[in-house]
Amino acid sequence: MNDQNPIPPQIPPQLPPVMPASGPRSLGDDPAERIAIPNVIVAIESILRQPRRVIFQLRQPGAGRLIAAMIFVSVVCSLIYGVVAGTFSGGTQLWAAPVKIAAGLMISALICLPSLYIFTCLGGSQARLVEVSGLLAGLLMLMTILLVGFAPVAWIFSQSTESLAWMGTLHLIFWFIAICFGLRFLEAGFSHSNAKSLAGFRTWVVIFMLVALQMTTALRPILGTSKTFLTTEKKFFLSHWSDCLKSSDNESKSRSRD
Amino acid sequence: MCALDELNPREISVLLRGEPEKIAAWAGQWSARRLALHIAVIIVGAGFYGAAMGWWRDPQQALFTAIKFPLIILFTTGGNALLNAMLAPLLGLNLPFRQSFSALLMSFVIAAAILGAFSPLMAFLVWNAPSTSPEAVSGATYSFIKLTNVAAIAFAGTVGNARLFQLLARLGGRRAVAFRVLFAWLAGNLFLGSQLSWILRPFIGSPSLPVEFFRATALRGNFYENVFHSLLQIFQQFD
Repeated sequence: MNDQNPIPPQIPPQLPPVMPASGPRSLGDDPAERIAIPNVIVAIESILRQPRRVIFQLRQPGAGRLIAAMIFVSVVCSLIYGVVAGTFSGGTQLWAAPVKIAAGLMISALICLPSLYIFTCLGGSQARLVEVSGLLAGLLMLMTILLVGFAPVAWIFSQSTESLAWMGTLHLIFWFIAICFGLRFLEAGFSHSNAKSLAGFRTWVVIFMLVALQMTTALRPILGTSKTFLTTEKKFFLSHWSDCLKSSDNESKSRSRD
Repeated sequence: MCALDELNPREISVLLRGEPEKIAAWAGQWSARRLALHIAVIIVGAGFYGAAMGWWRDPQQALFTAIKFPLIILFTTGGNALLNAMLAPLLGLNLPFRQSFSALLMSFVIAAAILGAFSPLMAFLVWNAPSTSPEAVSGATYSFIKLTNVAAIAFAGTVGNARLFQLLARLGGRRAVAFRVLFAWLAGNLFLGSQLSWILRPFIGSPSLPVEFFRATALRGNFYENVFHSLLQIFQQFD
């Protein structure tokens, strides 16, 4: 046998890959991601600056404490934002609006959690129910933190306008921006759970947004006033918005006649 | 390994993900406890969805539909078990009775799990809908509730059958054979399932009719006769 080859094999020069061959960096590669999250302040900081750390910690044993902390922050932040929303009408709305916003957000999440888990499983994700719950809690926390960030702007506007339709639109814009960031965190979480397809997740996003929007109508009034805590009239949110815009239009017409 | 160790509610997520190796292995081995788990998922999942479906009409209708909806699934699976087991080898897929029964039951488990997960959404929709009245029935609300139910059940059924197809293709080795068997099973289940739903009606419950477990005319006529008479009425209008 002659193993000796006088001509050495030609090895082409190795170019550095544009993207790592294994796809996105795996969780926990960075030692900073492996540091436990001991309290709510660190949880808030982590979800803003190191979302991968939160995702990694949700996979570790004892993630229940982190989930509880994130839910706690979500409730507190939504109560704070609710107080600001309530200042538009004042009076009983100062306590009713925060209660409704916090309760509405939590109920929406609870209603949508089973379908989120089912859709992630259908997409091939290996995420357990605890992890899915944690990611949803992360979405709520990030969303409500951002809403608190918007609260001063919302307060300024609520003190300077009397238009319910305008304030409603403004709150919806803030809510939409906040939920987009929250959903980005959720999607990042699922992309690390071996999901083969995100189609189911995207379908769920539409369902969640519809449920949350309908919740604002089901728990109305949140901005305006009413004799009762909750209205008995059942409406779909599009029909409610249309009625609000019509009444606002009539009010502005009557004002312009004056 | 004792049978108790085999029982794990996480099996449902394996079914939903459609992990072929594990599911094919489950279909091959008979476990009474796994069968009990699968039946329990059907009862709970379809039961909750049925309750949400019937709630719009009346809380009593919710209870009735919660009982009837899982019954349709279980009666259809049981009633066609023998036929389905015979059809599979005739169409080129040599499955023993237990394997074909397990495979079909697992597809219904997937559908029931999806429906169960949708039940809070359906309940929320019903809670937001105007209460039952002749105006609501003739209006968009009733149609919207009916269509949402159809969409949810169709989605659950489609996913269940897609996973069943994957399993049959793995067990049989050929997609064409799997497709033939699935088509035959679907035809048989649709035929029996439609008649069972006809007998066990109402599910949503028309507001103009009383709340009942069975209609007085439950065993009078059948689903296909009714479809035939409806078609006849439509064509008679053009004469």
